[in-house]
Amino acid sequence: MPSTQPYIYSENGDSTPTPHALLPFLQSQSQNTLTRLYQRPSSCLSIFRLLAPLERQIIMNLLWLESAIAASTMAAWVIREGKKLYEDALATLGRLNIIPQSSTKLALNGTFKSGLRQAMTGGGSSGSFGVPADKDDKRQGIDIEALDGYALERWETILHYMVSSGTGQSPTRPSQGVLFLLQRSGLMALSHSSLLQITSAGFQFLLHSPHDQLWDLLLQYLHLAEERQMDLVEVLGFIFMLSTMELGREYSTENLSGTQKAMLEDLRDYGLIWQRKPSSRRFSPTRLSTTLTSSAPPLPTARGTSSGPQEGFIILETNYRVYAYTDNPLQTAVLNLFVSLKYRFPNLVVGSITRDSVKKALMNGISADQIISYLTAHAHPQMRKNNPLLPVTVQDQIRLWELERNRLKSREGYLYTAFASQADYEFVLNYAKELDVVVWENSVKRCFFGTLEGHSNIKGFIERRTLAAGS
Amino acid sequence: MISTKRSAEVGTPQPAKRLKPSDDDIELANEDDVIPPSPPDTSLVPKSATINFSALTRKLALNKRSTDDDTPVSGLSSFEVHRRQQDKLISHIFMDQDFSWLHLKLDHQSRPLWISPEDGHIILEAFSPIAEQAQDFLTAISEPVSRPAMIHEYKLTSYSLYAAVSVGLQTDDIIEVLNRLSKVRVPVPDSIIAFIRSCTLSYGKVKLVLKHNKYFVESNHPETLQLLLKDRVIREARIVTAQTDNSIKAATFTTSKAPTRGNLVIPGTEKKKDEAGDGTPGQSKGNPSDADLFTSVVGVDADEIEEDDDSVHAFEIDDKKIDEIKKRCNELEYPMLEEYDFRNDTLNANLDIDLKPATVIRPYQETSLSKMFGNGRARSGIIVLPCGAGKTLVGITAACTIKKSCLVLCTSSVSVMQWKQQFMQWSNVTDRQIAVFTADQKEKFSGESGIVVSTYSMVANTHNRSHSAQKMMDFLTSREWGFILLDEVHVVPAVMFRRVVTTIKAHSKLGLTATLVREDDKIADLNYMIGPKLYEANWMDLAAKGHIANVQCAEVWCPMTPEFYHEYLKEQSRKRMLLYCMNPNKFQSCQFLIKYHEDRGDKIIVFSDNVFALEAYARHLKKLFIHGGVGQLERMAILSKFQHDPNVNTIFLSKVGDTSIDLPEATCLIQISSHFGSRRQEAQRLGRILRAKRRNDEGFNAFFYSLVSKDTQEMFYSTKRQQFLIDQGYAFKVITHLDGMENLPDLVYRTRDEQIELLQSVLIANDNEAELGSDIRHVDGDLAGTVTSKDFGGPTKFPPTQRTTGSLSALSGGHHMSYIEQNKSANKGISRAGASTAAPRHKLFAKRDKDKASARKEARMAG
Repeated sequence: MPSTQPYIYSENGDSTPTPHALLPFLQSQSQNTLTRLYQRPSSCLSIFRLLAPLERQIIMNLLWLESAIAASTMAAWVIREGKKLYEDALATLGRLNIIPQSSTKLALNGTFKSGLRQAMTGGGSSGSFGVPADKDDKRQGIDIEALDGYALERWETILHYMVSSGTGQSPTRPSQGVLFLLQRSGLMALSHSSLLQITSAGFQFLLHSPHDQLWDLLLQYLHLAEERQMDLVEVLGFIFMLSTMELGREYSTENLSGTQKAMLEDLRDYGLIWQRKPSSRRFSPTRLSTTLTSSAPPLPTARGTSSGPQEGFIILETNYRVYAYTDNPLQTAVLNLFVSLKYRFPNLVVGSITRDSVKKALMNGISADQIISYLTAHAHPQMRKNNPLLPVTVQDQIRLWELERNRLKSREGYLYTAFASQADYEFVLNYAKELDVVVWENSVKRCFFGTLEGHSNIKGFIERRTLAAGS
Repeated sequence: MISTKRSAEVGTPQPAKRLKPSDDDIELANEDDVIPPSPPDTSLVPKSATINFSALTRKLALNKRSTDDDTPVSGLSSFEVHRRQQDKLISHIFMDQDFSWLHLKLDHQSRPLWISPEDGHIILEAFSPIAEQAQDFLTAISEPVSRPAMIHEYKLTSYSLYAAVSVGLQTDDIIEVLNRLSKVRVPVPDSIIAFIRSCTLSYGKVKLVLKHNKYFVESNHPETLQLLLKDRVIREARIVTAQTDNSIKAATFTTSKAPTRGNLVIPGTEKKKDEAGDGTPGQSKGNPSDADLFTSVVGVDADEIEEDDDSVHAFEIDDKKIDEIKKRCNELEYPMLEEYDFRNDTLNANLDIDLKPATVIRPYQETSLSKMFGNGRARSGIIVLPCGAGKTLVGITAACTIKKSCLVLCTSSVSVMQWKQQFMQWSNVTDRQIAVFTADQKEKFSGESGIVVSTYSMVANTHNRSHSAQKMMDFLTSREWGFILLDEVHVVPAVMFRRVVTTIKAHSKLGLTATLVREDDKIADLNYMIGPKLYEANWMDLAAKGHIANVQCAEVWCPMTPEFYHEYLKEQSRKRMLLYCMNPNKFQSCQFLIKYHEDRGDKIIVFSDNVFALEAYARHLKKLFIHGGVGQLERMAILSKFQHDPNVNTIFLSKVGDTSIDLPEATCLIQISSHFGSRRQEAQRLGRILRAKRRNDEGFNAFFYSLVSKDTQEMFYSTKRQQFLIDQGYAFKVITHLDGMENLPDLVYRTRDEQIELLQSVLIANDNEAELGSDIRHVDGDLAGTVTSKDFGGPTKFPPTQRTTGSLSALSGGHHMSYIEQNKSANKGISRAGASTAAPRHKLFAKRDKDKASARKEARMAG
């Protein structure tokens, strides 16, 4: 499941206060799996890059020590305010089995240590960073621009399929594998007319940053791999290998294991790798995969005229108008989720946030906070002059619209009606009141509403009474 | 319209037709019937001036898309195919407002405009380096729609174009500058160009000028004059002066040099003139690099646009037939602009007035005046400035520029006095030269020329007049006025205007207002009777530069108490209004806010349209109040108390306080009930505190609260009311909870019993009490509905004691057991109200009355 927490955007993915989405998954793996994973230098390096700065600092301190260090020595470096942070970091590393938990000594897991050392110094012949394919004299390799175009197309096809499902449009369908993954992850679901339709989780997903979206999907893929009895270490190892590869370079499929070769097809569908044809013995990673563990943007941003998604492009005014500098259909479609759009110029989309448009978004399961954080994350550089970034009034209003929805409380229960006489009614009502299960009553209409819990008692009481009356 | 459509169809290449079969043509043909002519506010515009944009653009778009489809797909990369396909998928969202097929200019980033081909909407990047100049230009040619911080929107309308032409902009210049500012590559919206052309074709081409006391029809375009002369009515009205030479030229028209601003100097601007030369000061004074940038992008020097150096042609007409000619020209769709060549008017005596040397006018005031006197003559029109931005000074400066007899019309007798006083303050006019004409005072100025200040109602009155008033009117109608100044034009009924305009002979008219919005369709009338809008200031700009106060606006949501809401749901609409006004939570919020701001040292005005609520609040909170039932003397006393007494920091005003009341001390405004969704009222009320700029604290220096009962119709109206201000860039903060309100000592209606008591008093209130502005009636001498009116038509309300009797009898039918209980509580409520009546009142009375009142009060308390 994609995280339902408010998504916090930061320019630099590494300083994100929330831990990376993959880490909880890794922590849930067995020690054995982790150790096997750490045998690959590329995995060690990738995981290292996903960690928080403090965790990385600790690892770097320990990496070149040949023997364990006393925990107290290390702790002596930590000022009192940082103690909590430090302990949290140690706990995380412990759960990842990078620093085996011990109260007295601190040392890196041996496998991890040698793996990371090797990644940094180079050498070794494990091929964990991928094996570059030999130069092909007959055919020119694909250039970076074409790779970017390919990645963007694949990725946008998936998202666009999601966003326009249920609108009566017929966008290009992604491959069957992708559709299955979307359905499994709960981002889309089969509607009664047996068409795939986006779910509220899917709507929330659309507002995330591409980097988060990518990892959301990959996590789902990992869960799926577990169920398919695929070797997780192979799968994870391959993803990490891709993340350390060089953009624009061709790699050979020779060294890949069977599981990994099978993954090629899926990853092709997601736009992570490019192959000339399915049977090709070489592949190129796209920008989507090479940035998996880095803070660089996963999608090309400024590419000449056919621009990809923009970073900061939205201006929100105090009069609820939204001006988005974009010509990207996907971004426009995403905006359309909570903005009522009006004009579209070659490089500008104009719309306004209205009660109805926000209501529609809320109905789709998008929260006010998500809308606000999306607007914040994509605010135009001009907006950055403002403090606070977004007009407070608009933010408040969006939240208030959300609150409006939560004014009715629903409670399950039973309505008791059709009492034969007022006396009957009052008798039962009094009984129910004694049990304290009455939610609402109306003596004129001779009916009352009781909670779910009280039903069996009241039912029994009425039956007993009818029996008594009948006999 | 026919010609446009034809050209569009001709321009459509075959492929489009082939792709979209004939049903498209049917659609087009029907459109003229189905779609009313856009834009909607063009009732007065000749039919030919409106164009059906949609038909044209749809054709263009279709044309473009069809060529897209024709392009062989094989030639494109799969990415481009993919992009194009996606484009199509979202295109439907925008219906026919998808203009992504337009092409951007290569240097579009340095140009600030998008223009919608569909409806003439213009979107401006206000952060562009040349935005300021672009804004000047856009305010001249279009109506501002919204002007918040970063992106502004404007709209081209036939009126705005009419106004543009009347301040001297030429059709080609408008198109040229728009083209250059636009991000979109030429051909920029052909439809827009066609619209501009058609609007400016006939507008502003003909001027009616009074020169040497002869009326001339003047135009830069001889062919236009020829055309007019073909009309019988006009031909007959023409006076052909005996020609001495028979040359062809002389036989046709008199030709002269076009008027230029020349050496006309608007008083109060001399010092700046020296530096800035003859150019339009606002533009030449700006940062030189910015101005250069503008010129380099736009390519036309802004000054050039305003001057036309053609020679003008004119023919003289009989001054007896002026009205006929004007009417005829309107029918011919060549409405005449009125210009007054006051420097060449030798018949009307000059009035020797000038601004005092110490008087300095602000840049925006100067800009607005430069629009009026752009070519050295006085143009008639309307200047829109927010309240508190110095409209009066603009009027006075205009009068001092024209230096002819001047008639000032305002809404009430007190504004009359204020105007007179302002004239004395800012200009060197002598007491002899200025006269007032009100119900009480009927003066004439001595000498050949002078200034008369009066009210609309005095001049427009058709009922019986007193002898002296009739004599005064004869004086007014018997002479020619150089200048007529119309204050607060937005409140004056059109009928009254027409009467004023027809009875008084004036050469130029200037209307002043803060808000040119009306819920009814009267704006068009103003356009026609006074002239086009010459200038409209940007509120946010003025606030940023410190000319008006920086206001924090807030909407306070007060939940209805369950009892009140219960009744609210049951009641009919009129009573409902009373219920949401009297909501105890609103009462408490009001009390809390008053307390909070009084402690801060603010002076507070509380507005309530509902008089019943007004009185209830004021009495309960022991504050002074003014509504229609309060007598003139008492009213003045209250106002001066509010201004000068440090102990009186809050007053309650009914609708009478909306306009023309100058309370510069007020820094906080609380609104508890208002007139439905009136955007104008909201803006006017905000205007009451815009003068609060003197107290320059950090950030905000004035506060505007609107108390709204949650889940009632009020919420809906409130949103509507705010629209104008929001478009001006104001932000309304929603407050759902006032911190610390519960802990306020002596908070009113804290207990449920008290609340129910209040509810009872609301329920027994007369049905009429629910009406808004019930205290206002029209009276002779003043316009209805201003606080300073002499009389509101007598007390329309019952004294409180009388109301009790009414309610008692209403109750006497007896509703079962609770009768006694209710009776008792109602009594208690009234006696308390009675006691508190004395409290606010006795402060106002002179010492003599004070003793009397307090004695009475004691007696009552004892009793």
